[in-house]
Amino acid sequence: MSDNPEGRIEVKDLVVRYGEVAAVDGVSFSVARGEHVTLLGPSGCGKTTTLRAIAGLETPSAGSIHIAGQTVYSAAERRNVPAEKRGISMVFQSYAVWPHMSVFDNVAYGLRVRKLPRAEIAAQVERALDLVQMRDYATRSASLLSGGQQQRVALARAIAFSPTVVLFDEPLSNLDAKLRAEMRVELRELQRRLDITSVYVTHDQEEALAISDRVIVMHVGGIEQIGTPEDIYHRPKTRFVADFVGSANLITGRLAGPIAGPVYGTGGVRFESDSGITLHAWAEHPPRGDEDTVAVRTAHIALSAGGAPSASGPSANENSATGRIRQRLFHGDFIQYIIDWPGGTLTVRRPPTESYDEGAAVTLSFAPENCVLLEG
Amino acid sequence: MKALSLRISRRPLLAGWRPSAQGAATLIVVVFCGALVGYPIVYLVAESFNTGEAGTFPPETVGLDNYLNLIDDSRIITNTAFVACIATVMAVVLGFLIAWTLTRTRLPGRARLERLMQLPYYLTPLVGALAWAILASPKSGFLNQLWHFLSGSDGDLFNIYSPWGIAWVMALFEGTVAFVMIGAAMKSMDPSLEETSRVLGAGKWRTMLKVTLPLVTPGVLGATIFVFAEMLGSFAAALVLGVPGRFFVITTAIWEATLSFPPDYGRASAMGFALFAVMLASLTLYRRIIRRGNYATITGKAFRPRPLEMGAITWLLFALCCFYVLVSVVLPLAALTLTSFQRFATVFLSQTELTLANYQTAFGFGAVNSALTTSLLLGVGVATVGVVVMAMLVWIIYRSHLPGHSLVEYVVMFPQAVPRMVFGLGLLWAWLNIPIPIYGTVWLLALAYFTVLLPLGVRTLAGVVLQIDNSLEECARVCGASWSYQLRTVTLPLMRPGILAAWLLLFIASVRELGVSIFLVGPNAKVIAPAIVSAWISSSTELSAALALIQSGAVFIALIVLLRAARSFSGELP
Repeated sequence: MSDNPEGRIEVKDLVVRYGEVAAVDGVSFSVARGEHVTLLGPSGCGKTTTLRAIAGLETPSAGSIHIAGQTVYSAAERRNVPAEKRGISMVFQSYAVWPHMSVFDNVAYGLRVRKLPRAEIAAQVERALDLVQMRDYATRSASLLSGGQQQRVALARAIAFSPTVVLFDEPLSNLDAKLRAEMRVELRELQRRLDITSVYVTHDQEEALAISDRVIVMHVGGIEQIGTPEDIYHRPKTRFVADFVGSANLITGRLAGPIAGPVYGTGGVRFESDSGITLHAWAEHPPRGDEDTVAVRTAHIALSAGGAPSASGPSANENSATGRIRQRLFHGDFIQYIIDWPGGTLTVRRPPTESYDEGAAVTLSFAPENCVLLEG
Repeated sequence: MKALSLRISRRPLLAGWRPSAQGAATLIVVVFCGALVGYPIVYLVAESFNTGEAGTFPPETVGLDNYLNLIDDSRIITNTAFVACIATVMAVVLGFLIAWTLTRTRLPGRARLERLMQLPYYLTPLVGALAWAILASPKSGFLNQLWHFLSGSDGDLFNIYSPWGIAWVMALFEGTVAFVMIGAAMKSMDPSLEETSRVLGAGKWRTMLKVTLPLVTPGVLGATIFVFAEMLGSFAAALVLGVPGRFFVITTAIWEATLSFPPDYGRASAMGFALFAVMLASLTLYRRIIRRGNYATITGKAFRPRPLEMGAITWLLFALCCFYVLVSVVLPLAALTLTSFQRFATVFLSQTELTLANYQTAFGFGAVNSALTTSLLLGVGVATVGVVVMAMLVWIIYRSHLPGHSLVEYVVMFPQAVPRMVFGLGLLWAWLNIPIPIYGTVWLLALAYFTVLLPLGVRTLAGVVLQIDNSLEECARVCGASWSYQLRTVTLPLMRPGILAAWLLLFIASVRELGVSIFLVGPNAKVIAPAIVSAWISSSTELSAALALIQSGAVFIALIVLLRAARSFSGELP
């Protein structure tokens, strides 16, 4: 994260229009050298369009893009460097492995374009194929590869010419769940080893959280929140982020003033829900006063057997209430409970070791810092 | 601020028109093709309203006389409607039954039968009509001769020189499209729709009536209208089988009008334009039906429909398929082959006098031989140049995002809506009046072929280009390849099978072309299809049979290469 511009990407006020519709509407962010940033959002949120604009495959209508200190697009300067001159690399969702070439030719493409000597091309291709464990397939025709193998070839091709910036457009979305999980681990490993700057697009929030240094959550052409995976998960800023990333209970109501105390300092607020319950919540931002929702992650709520809490209502460092389990869904890695409580219904996920029967009375509790006041 | 945002939002539009090589090339191609397509039609329309001296452009006096005269001659209209209706009904019924049989029953050799079904189309209506004239003309027709011999009577079993005979040949050799279209509709139906009905307790026949038929109805209706439009513009069968008995449909009437002395070009143009208008209306209706009938359930995806157990009916349907192949491929080719080696056509080998004279004439006699050579050269030339230009057009239409690319598509597809021979008439006019002296030369034929084959070539190439995922090209660019490098290493190699297929299809279509050629041939520019017609008219059945076989031979060789190529490349595309 130095001033050295190499491998740094800067996107400012980017707008991409399709006819009248702005697919990307004023997006700004920057990616530091060696950083792995993920654009996360549902389909149609503009994440792929943003990525393609960085690659030079989409012509924006406003804003600017700088890669490694060079202006590759600027509406003001009327400058638009074509994709092939941007010196970046990309892995496509469809893999885009050329079926009429061998694996070797596919991977060598970027090197041949750069007119490297034959011996060096062979060495670089070998290195790249080694990295993705596809060395034995070099002479194989690309049309004979399985999906997972094509994925690896696409990856090898993208890194073969040692680019400093690699863009990933949902590269794992066509793989089955198990292979996807494996590739996630490998991608993260590869990215660290090669010291590349990468921008990654996905609609899979688990994937985004698992492999990124920072996550940019996008929604209808704009950015909802930028932060580390932990930030995004524990401190969602908006209703959309709370809902789209992970799973959360949204409780509506209104602010009822700060809680002054030694523990929570400036962030603690009192929140009165529509159903009349007072919660102790946490505000990451200075509260404006008109915020009307708090979010509680389904995994942040603890359950204990029995319906007799020591004290109903918030104590200084705990929100606590009694409830009754209406429905229990066993998911394997967790159990999901739908619980009726005085504030309405809550969804709670507990590890499979904590099992309660339907109809059982339970005590719910969650810490104020896990009850996050949303900005909007 | 407002001014700034306006300026910025216009930018992509301006960027498209920056004086780039791509933009200039596009403009040139568009203007060129637009002129090729539009110019003949303008002439045709002008001439149809011309009541003064024929051939002056613009006309000195205009009026509706040419159109009003048509109404007096209502026989032609009723003849046309009659033949087209019968032929359409025959073609659709046959097409439906065969398509059903081939997609929905467990028949032996289904794939092979399906390929055989398309042969009649490549055999062409002209060759088909010739063959059936040999097979079923009164008295001398092979089938009638056999009938006389077997029954002892001298009545005729068939008379092919009748409206029914014309319709029969049209249905056999031009109706193939009905089978292809209905078959496609049946294949695109999700079998789970039928399975649901079965699971819910409906029987086999009930399912067929309540689910299957309603789902394929739009496809069948669309095919009916499309085939009807095709039949209206059909020329060859009516020419070979109708003209000798002075039975005229609109296309042969147009031809007749240009041959009469003095040629009545105004009348011919008026008929041509009227035919064009009806055909355009039919095709518009067809597109409506196809679009509206496009229930969400019928997707572009190809399904493998579940074969039905139909018991004995299966064999009846199988017999029908075999019958179709017999009357549209086997009998015609056998009759032509036999006749082409005879001095006088007869079915009885005992009376026959075998000879190679017809082939000697075909390959030796100056005019005929030159027609053969010219046709083949034209085929090669038009296919070669055509593929290059059409590939450019396809790129402009489907990949370039240049302004006006959808207009280009419209221009390029336009000849499809114009009956071939009407287009030929328009071309005749247009090029007689232009100061470029190519009328009566092969160059005009080449231009004309290119123009009328634009839809075929562009559609074939587009099919391949659209199969190539955009990201395959984009990836090359991101890897650092320039546009031309990407074109050379990725786009063109991926398009190779499509380019070969388009080349062969264009070659086939050129070699068999009749409707346009018949107006544009001259003493120095003869091609094979019109030569077959003139051999026929000068009543040399045997020579025309030999020529027809030679033409079919060239087409079949190209077809075999095409099938081979399609098979070996099919594994290569993703």
